[in-house]
Amino acid sequence: MSIESIMRHSSLKPWALACVLSIMLVGYAQDTATVYGYDLNGQAVTRLSTPGAEAIVLFFIASDCPISNRYLPEMQRIENKFAALHVAFWFVYPNVGETSEAVRQHEAAYGAEGHILLDPHHKLVAITHAKVTPESAVLVPEHAGAETLRTVYHGRIDDRYIEIGRERPAATQRDLERAIVDVLQHRFVQPPDGPAVGCGIIGQP
Amino acid sequence: MRWSASLFPAGLLGTAALFTLFAQPPHADVRAAAGPVTFNQQIAPILYNHCSSCHHPGGPGPFSLLSYSDAKRWGTTIRTVTQSRYMPPWLPEPGFGNFADSRRLSAEDLMLIKSWVDAGMPEGETTEAPKPPVFSVDWQLGPPDLILRVASPMQVPASGTDLFHNFILPVPITQTKYIRAMEIKPGAPRVVHHANILIDRTASLRRHHRDDWQQGIPGMELSVDSGESFDPDSHFLFWKPDSPALIEPGGMPWRLDPGNDLILNMHLKPTGKPETVQATVGLYFADKPATAHPMLLQLEHDAALDIPAGEAAFVIEDHLKLPIDVDVLGIYPHAHYLGKELEGYAILPNGEKKWLILIRDWDIDRQSVYRFQSPVFLPKNSVISMRYTYDNSKANIRNPNNPPIRVRAGNRSVDEMGHLWLQVLPHALPNSNQDPRLALEQSWMQNILRKNPDDHTALYNLASVYMINHDYTPAATLYSRALTSMPDDVRTITALGTALDGEGNWQQALAEYQKALTIDPEDADARYDVAHLEFKHGSYADAEQEYRHLLAKDPKDVSAHNELGGILAATNRPTEAQHEFETAIALAPGNFDALYNLAGIETDNNHLARAAELLQQALKQRDDADAHQLLGNVYTQSARLDDAVQQFKAVQLLRPRDPVAHRQLAQLYAQMGQLRDAISEQNAVLALDPTNADDWNNLGVLHARNGDVTSARRDFEHALTLNPQHAAARANLARL
Repeated sequence: MSIESIMRHSSLKPWALACVLSIMLVGYAQDTATVYGYDLNGQAVTRLSTPGAEAIVLFFIASDCPISNRYLPEMQRIENKFAALHVAFWFVYPNVGETSEAVRQHEAAYGAEGHILLDPHHKLVAITHAKVTPESAVLVPEHAGAETLRTVYHGRIDDRYIEIGRERPAATQRDLERAIVDVLQHRFVQPPDGPAVGCGIIGQP
Repeated sequence: MRWSASLFPAGLLGTAALFTLFAQPPHADVRAAAGPVTFNQQIAPILYNHCSSCHHPGGPGPFSLLSYSDAKRWGTTIRTVTQSRYMPPWLPEPGFGNFADSRRLSAEDLMLIKSWVDAGMPEGETTEAPKPPVFSVDWQLGPPDLILRVASPMQVPASGTDLFHNFILPVPITQTKYIRAMEIKPGAPRVVHHANILIDRTASLRRHHRDDWQQGIPGMELSVDSGESFDPDSHFLFWKPDSPALIEPGGMPWRLDPGNDLILNMHLKPTGKPETVQATVGLYFADKPATAHPMLLQLEHDAALDIPAGEAAFVIEDHLKLPIDVDVLGIYPHAHYLGKELEGYAILPNGEKKWLILIRDWDIDRQSVYRFQSPVFLPKNSVISMRYTYDNSKANIRNPNNPPIRVRAGNRSVDEMGHLWLQVLPHALPNSNQDPRLALEQSWMQNILRKNPDDHTALYNLASVYMINHDYTPAATLYSRALTSMPDDVRTITALGTALDGEGNWQQALAEYQKALTIDPEDADARYDVAHLEFKHGSYADAEQEYRHLLAKDPKDVSAHNELGGILAATNRPTEAQHEFETAIALAPGNFDALYNLAGIETDNNHLARAAELLQQALKQRDDADAHQLLGNVYTQSARLDDAVQQFKAVQLLRPRDPVAHRQLAQLYAQMGQLRDAISEQNAVLALDPTNADDWNNLGVLHARNGDVTSARRDFEHALTLNPQHAAARANLARL
């Protein structure tokens, strides 16, 4: 696996700069599969992309975070909108202590479907620099057909939450959706215009 | 005549206060100990006292905070939300009103939480760990006396904007009950942001939604019909996630009558998954009726709410001058999503400004009723003011309109409101038996009319105040004004008829009632009033026909049975009359009028034990002077003279300026041989009314029997001065 930071030169707001600094290359080594996490059967997941996928979207969620739960219908809406457009979606449970059983119950309660991945070793958290649930990331193949992935976006899904307790009645800017469209239209991917708001991702004690 | 009122949220009373605002928390000494901040020593007491009441398994909080592992899991979030003061939810600014049940964390608590999280959230010695509180899933106060359940569960979708829904709960009682406590179980506590209960005295909402009431009615606020008597809303019946049971102060239960509905107004917030809400309400009955009668007052200026798009500081104000002394018990500010800074204060007659509440950053999601730590006394002529500032700019992230648009008052969440409700306990009026709430009602309605001279409800309600005070001419004028905007409003036409009747203009009153019946031939109130007028003016046959018409339409019309019984009694058909009264009692066992009237017939039939039983039952419903008086007579006839004395004394308490009860007591004491008491009572009669020659004659007889010939002579002579033809006085004087 090779991970490499990319620096871009642009005038961005300070927090956006932090985001850009975190853009990385991720990929697969020729001979050693990277374990990104585990599915609900405990099987290692070594491949995020699907054949022909132009982008991979990660949703970092938690089974016990109320803001993350409230976003699930929006995540499902985005998935439904882009799934047919060569975009792969993963629901990533990054919190240490999440169990397959709890995640199964959570998925059943909230009606979420799709690729589920537990990230107990924070592999994807490290790659994308996710901090909270809910948060999102968009990864793209380094070039057509390549297995090496680049993180081109990470951060909030939209601007509904300004901070915990300060919430708009509806989002006025859908940052993640804009990023996905940027990728699909091969445009420069704009970073989010505000921080992700939610519950801190839990690491090792 | 019916009373009309606009809804509102009745009230809240939180349960036990955690800490007083300025008092030292009980664990302050422990915190001051040197050494690192640990969960067991400093943090657990804060969480258990301020957070766990919501954050426990099955509770309304989204996660539990009852253990170290819980606290560690959520530590960084706790630090964030306490530093921003989002949690615990508490909007009032400290120092601008002292409230019970304050949830605001002290600066020391905030510092301890921050230090603990920054230090890596150490657990500390487990031997120092306080015991976590225990939360029952059962009713907090034990099994309720009555449990009401929403008829039809509601599905709340996984996502979308907040929902506001009104569930109708019929109350299956056959006698008036007084509610000392209430608990609401929302069904899905994490979905329910807050709830208000309104008492629909006339089941009006259910009537207007005959076919679909079981599903409930959407809407943030609503109005209901308050019925025919002056019966203002009295209590905040407000529920929020941390108020498990609303316990009313002693002597202040709220009343529920047969036929009342409760309206449960709920603010529901989607959680991300579909939820089912089916609330239950547990009621706990008091043994006795209220001895103190608070009232809800409202300041508002919705008519001034016309907020331009982009306006960041739009202000509305309202001011209400108090006509009497009051104690303010609680306060409930209310706005929608554009509300920003909400101020409530009073200017006392001496010019002093007394803050009632200040909220600098209003948030409808964290709204609450606030109960004062101790009643706030406001003397007569204090002016209560509200001053609300609204932010309709794009910078207000709660703005429901994007981009901002011009916003006016309304019932939808995209509209606005500006209300300040107060629960006040009026002081009794000096030298008057008048219900002091009437004075408040009058000032309140006049205040509304100053802002909007054509407000139909205010015109109607103000007229009704005059009606209660038997001031019929201004009442008729106000009803006429109310009809200008709603000329075909049958209720107002009928009320005008009643005012005209009060003025003595019963023919014109009859014309108004008939006009109402022309507009709506099925209007039972108008027909009832026609019948009543005919009854009053001796047209028994016509009245009987009308009552029978009403009963043909509604055989369960208790008042019509009762009035028909009255006609039958007046036309010497006591057996039929008895049947009507008994039917009324069978339909409404607590109906005072039917119990009293039947007791009258039983007294005439010399069924004294039965009459006494009926009157005792009637007096459980209402402390009524006539009923005490009749019961006193029944006891006198039954030779239960001591019991009779108690009844006449009760009459005196209710009618202190009425000589009749004194006169009866004087006769009773004379019969019992207690001549001194009899003379005292007879003197009381003459102190109230010295112009009655009979009373002077009777006093003379009592003095004579007591051996006081001089006084007796003076009394008989006084009687003859008043009435030289008084034969008995002359004869008594001759006998001395």
